Amino acid sequence: MSTPYYIPETNIPLPPVDADVISTACDYCIVACGYKVYRWPVKGGKVGGAMAGENAFNVDFPVDPLGPWVAPNQYNTVMHNGEPHHVIIIPDKDSEHVNIAGNSSIRGGAIAQKVYNPQTPTRDRLKSPMVRMFGVLMPVTWDFAMEIAAAVGKHVIKKHGENAYCVKTFSYGFMENTYAITKYALNSVSTANFTFHDTPSDVTSTPGFRDAGFDNFGPAYEDWRDAETLLICGTDPYETKTILFTDWIMPGIQNGQRTIFMVPRKTGGIAYAEKNGGMWLDIQPGTDLLVVNAIARVIVENGWEDTDWIQKWVNNKWESSSGFGQGTRNTPWQWRTTWGKFQTAGFEDWKEWLLSQDEFAPENAAEIAQIDIEKIYKAAEWMAKPREDGTRPKTSLMIEKGFYWSNNTGNTQAISALGIVVGAGGRPGQVIGRAGGHQRGGLRGGKYPRNKSPEKLPGRRRRAMDTDRYLMSGHTRFAHVIGNTWIQSMCGSQSLAAKFDELTVQNPHQINSFDKQEIIDTLIKRVDSGGMVVVNQDIYLVDPIGARYADIVFPASGWGEDSFTRANGERRIRLYPKFYDAPGDAKPDWWIIARLATEMGYTGFDWKNSNEVLEEGARFSRGSRKDFHLVKVAAHREGKTLHEKLGEYGTAGIQGPVLMADDGSLIGTKRLHDTTRVLPEDGPIGASRLGKKLTHFNSQTGKCNIQKSPWSLFSDYWAWLKPKQDELWVTSGRINERWQSGYDDRRRPYIVQRWPENWVEIHPDDAKARGIENGDYVMLYSERIPVQTDTIVGVEGDDFSFSKLMENGHIELTKAAITAVAIVTPAVKKGLLYMDFLHTAQPANALSGRVVDWISGNYNYKMGVGRIRKIGTSPYKNSFRSMSFARRDIA
Amino acid sequence: MTVQHSPLDPALVASINGPEEVAKTGKRCVMNRRQFLLTSGISTFTIMVALKSGPSAAKVPAVVSTYKRKFIAKLSELKQDEPLDFTYPDEGAYAESILVKLGREAGGGIGPQKDIVAFSYTCTHQGGPLQDTYKAADKALGPCPLHLTTFDLTRHGIFISGQAYQSLPQVLLELDGDDIYAVGMFGLIYGRHDNLQG
Repeated sequence: MSTPYYIPETNIPLPPVDADVISTACDYCIVACGYKVYRWPVKGGKVGGAMAGENAFNVDFPVDPLGPWVAPNQYNTVMHNGEPHHVIIIPDKDSEHVNIAGNSSIRGGAIAQKVYNPQTPTRDRLKSPMVRMFGVLMPVTWDFAMEIAAAVGKHVIKKHGENAYCVKTFSYGFMENTYAITKYALNSVSTANFTFHDTPSDVTSTPGFRDAGFDNFGPAYEDWRDAETLLICGTDPYETKTILFTDWIMPGIQNGQRTIFMVPRKTGGIAYAEKNGGMWLDIQPGTDLLVVNAIARVIVENGWEDTDWIQKWVNNKWESSSGFGQGTRNTPWQWRTTWGKFQTAGFEDWKEWLLSQDEFAPENAAEIAQIDIEKIYKAAEWMAKPREDGTRPKTSLMIEKGFYWSNNTGNTQAISALGIVVGAGGRPGQVIGRAGGHQRGGLRGGKYPRNKSPEKLPGRRRRAMDTDRYLMSGHTRFAHVIGNTWIQSMCGSQSLAAKFDELTVQNPHQINSFDKQEIIDTLIKRVDSGGMVVVNQDIYLVDPIGARYADIVFPASGWGEDSFTRANGERRIRLYPKFYDAPGDAKPDWWIIARLATEMGYTGFDWKNSNEVLEEGARFSRGSRKDFHLVKVAAHREGKTLHEKLGEYGTAGIQGPVLMADDGSLIGTKRLHDTTRVLPEDGPIGASRLGKKLTHFNSQTGKCNIQKSPWSLFSDYWAWLKPKQDELWVTSGRINERWQSGYDDRRRPYIVQRWPENWVEIHPDDAKARGIENGDYVMLYSERIPVQTDTIVGVEGDDFSFSKLMENGHIELTKAAITAVAIVTPAVKKGLLYMDFLHTAQPANALSGRVVDWISGNYNYKMGVGRIRKIGTSPYKNSFRSMSFARRDIA
Repeated sequence: MTVQHSPLDPALVASINGPEEVAKTGKRCVMNRRQFLLTSGISTFTIMVALKSGPSAAKVPAVVSTYKRKFIAKLSELKQDEPLDFTYPDEGAYAESILVKLGREAGGGIGPQKDIVAFSYTCTHQGGPLQDTYKAADKALGPCPLHLTTFDLTRHGIFISGQAYQSLPQVLLELDGDDIYAVGMFGLIYGRHDNLQG
C-alpha cells in the first residue's frame, strides 16, 4: 500500500497461534470500541494457518459472518523493540461491552493503517524536532529546540506577561498528556490565554445542561437502546459514532423505538429510522430552539408533561434561589449578563413564559424552521402522550454539535427544559445527554486563572479569554499549539490565517543563522516588535500552523506508541497500551511538556513514564465523571501500578466514577443521575466519594432547574445572517469515513479514493438553478463573513448582543472563499449546503462568522452563509477511480 | 503466504501474457503481482517474491494459485437492471456473486456500453449477505442488512455510505463474442484469508 491509489489486496497473512495479543481501544470517536492487536515477528517467516488450531483466532477460515475476518486494511508491519513485526488490528470479538462481539466502524476497522510504516503514506510522520532556519524547518536535537523554545518562552512571560504565552491544545489526547499540558499551562505558566481545540475560550460546550444539572455523559449506552422514543438533535450517530447506532440504537429501533432526528441532512441512520417508523425533522440551521419549544408547548398544552417527575425533581421558586451563593443566579450564565432572562420560579412559571411567547406557536416555529407542522405535533405525541393505560413512553434526548454549535446557550437551555417535562434524565431508558464527538481524555492539572482574563461581561463576571480575538488584537506573542489545526478549526479561518501570517512570516525578524543564541535573539526581537513565535507539537506537520507559521516543531507520539488512558461516551475508562515503537525521536506529549517545563525552570515534571503522570493526576479526577482515584488505591494495595490495574480490565474497562466496596473491590457507575441507584446506607467506603451526581442532578439542590430559553437573545444574529438573495446556508459536520482533520484518513489510500478532497452536498433544485452537476468544481464564497473585533468591557446588559456589537463598530465584514466538489442530492434540505467540517485545504469554517454566542463564548460553527458557483469540472466527474456521487441515504 | 506490495515489471508481465494484456489492464494502475495473476492463463506456478519488511530482502518461493476462466452468461441474454447470480472464483464459502448490466458506463464494465459488471455478494464489513439488495435507481448494492453499508457498482464497488473495510470485490470480466467470462477478482472476499482458498 505504498501508492496513494487504493489497489485491493486478495490475501492476508494470519497471525500464528503464539502471536502476542494486546487489548486496547480505538483511537477515534467517542464510542471507543474494544480492539485487539495481534503481533508477531517478521523474523522467522512464521504465519498462521487456515485451520482453527493453526491461527491465533482459533477459527477455521473462511470465517462465519461477524467472525474474525482480517481485511487487508487491518494488517500492517511495525517496529517493536527495534525488530519488524506483523500486526493485525481487529475489533475485539470477545467484547461484552460497547462493540459487543466485535463490531466496528470503517474508521476503527482500518486503524491498522494508522500506525507508522515508512512504506505507507504515514512515512511523513514527524520524527525529529525542527527549527525553521533560513526559511526551512530543519531537523535538530531535542536539546537545541528546547533551549530556544524555553529561552523565548521565558522572555515572553517576563516581558509581556503570562497572557502573552498562549497554549492551544487538544482536550482529549489521553489523560497523561492533558494532565501534563494543563499542569504546565494553567499551574506553572498560569496563563488565561489557554483553550482547547474546539473553542476559542475554555468554556463549557453545553451551558443549558450545566444550568439544568445534567452531565454531558451521564447515560449508559443501553439507555439509548431502551428508550421507547428517542429525540436525536444535530447528529446521525450512524455517521459519526457508528457503533452507538448499529449496536445500541438500531436494536432499539428493531424493538419498536420511535426515533426522531432533528437535523437538516439525511444520512444512513436517519434513512433506516424513517423506513422503520421514525421521523426526520428537517429544520433549517439555527431554528432548533423554536422547534424544541414548539414541541414543549404542544406537550404542556395537552397536559402530557410528567407531573410526578416534575413534582419530585424540579426546583420550585424557593429551591431555585436556594443555597448560600449557590442558586442559579450564581451559575455563570445568570451572573454574566442576563439577570432574569433564564431563571424561573419552577415549572408553572416556565410554562407561563413558554405559552406567552408567540414565536413558539407551532405554526410560527414550523414556518421559520421550514418543516411540516404535523411533525411538531407528532414529535410531542411520541415523546410525551400517555398511553390509554396511563403509562408514559420512556423518552430520551440526545444532542450533539449540529444542535449545540448554533445558538449554543439557547438551544441547550431549550432542550434541557423539554427533557425535564418528559421525565428524562434520571432513569433507565429515560436519559438526556450528548452523543459525543471525540473521546474523553481530559484531566486537569491546574485551574483556569479566570481573574486574569480580560473578558469582562456585564454583571461583574469574567469569562474565559477568547484566544482568537486576543491573537487578532496582537497580544499573543508566543503560541504553543498542541495537536490541533487551530486556524481551520476556528470560524472565519481565512482572516485568522492572515493575522498569523502577519505576526510570523511577515515580521522582519526571521531566523537566518545557525547559532543558537542568535536564533534566540532574533525570536526575542520578533516578539518585542509585536510579532509572534509559534511552537507546534504534533504527529504530522500541519498546514499552515506547522508547515508555514511554526518556528519550532516538536514531534509527538500517539496511540499505541506509549501507554495511555482515556474514557469513552459512557465514562468507560480503559488502558491503551503501547504496542510498537514511535517513529524516530518522536516523544509523547507529557514527555515534551515535562522537558520544556523543566527547561523553563518549573518543578514537578520529573516523571519517568506515563504511569507516573497518571498516578499523580488520579486524585484530580476525584468528583469528576471519570473519577478513577480508587483504581489507584486498589492498585497500590495489590502492589501494582495504576496502568497495570487498568490493563487488567481489558476492553471492558471500568465506568467512572469508580467506588470501592466493603471488601475492597471496585464498583463502576453505569449511569449518572441514576435516581434508581441505591448507595451504601452507611456512607462511603474508604476514599470513595458519593457525589451528588451519582443519584441526583448537578445543581444547587440536586433537582433540575427548569430554565427559559428566549429566542430574542439570538434572533438578531440569525436574522442578519440568514441567506439573502441567492445565498445559501453553508453548514458542515463530520462524515463517517474521516476523523477530525483527516490526519490519518488522508494517508489511507482507500479513504482517499472515496474522499480525495472536500465536497459540498447541494439540493437538486439549488444545483439546477446554478447549472451545477455532480462532480463539478464549485466555489463557495461570501463578502460578509462577520468577525467580532476588540476586547471590550461590558457595562449594559446587551453590550455583547450582536446588534449592539454591530452598532458600536465591533463587527467587521470579511471575505472568504473555498472550493469543493459538488454532490447533487435530495438528502440535504433545499437552501442549504453541507460540507465536511475540517479539511485543511478547503475549510468549511472559513464561511462561518467569527462571532461568539454572547452568553457562553462558543462559536456558531454550523451557521455559515455564502454563494456557490461552478468553476469547472473536477477529475472525479467522468472517471471511475475516485469518489462516488450516489446518494448516501439509500434505505 | 504473506501479502506483497511490490509491483512487477510490466516488461516481465508482457513477456508472459503478451502486450495486449498489459494494455488492457495497465490503464487501471501500475501493473502489480495481483494483476499479473489475473491476466495469466496458467493455473498454478511458483514465483519469487521479495519480502519487503523482512530483516533481509531475501526472495522466497511462494505457491500461488490463479483464477479460473469461467463462463457466466451470454451478452445477448442480459437485460438492464436484472441481476444474475453466479459463483466465483469457486463453489466455496462466499463465492456467490452478482452480474448486472447497469445501463450506465461503469469502472471495469464490459460490453458495448461498458456497463456490465460483477461483484461479490458478501459485505466486506462483517460478512452480511447483499443478495436481493440491488438498487437500480442508484446502481448500488445494499444497504447490507447487518450494518447498512451501500456500494456503488459504477465505481469499482466502492462504498457509498457505511462501514466496509474495503471496496466490494470486483469480478474481472472478459467478453469473447457473445460469451461473458469471469477471469479474476480484485479485493479479498469476506471471510477468506486468500481468495483462492475458499
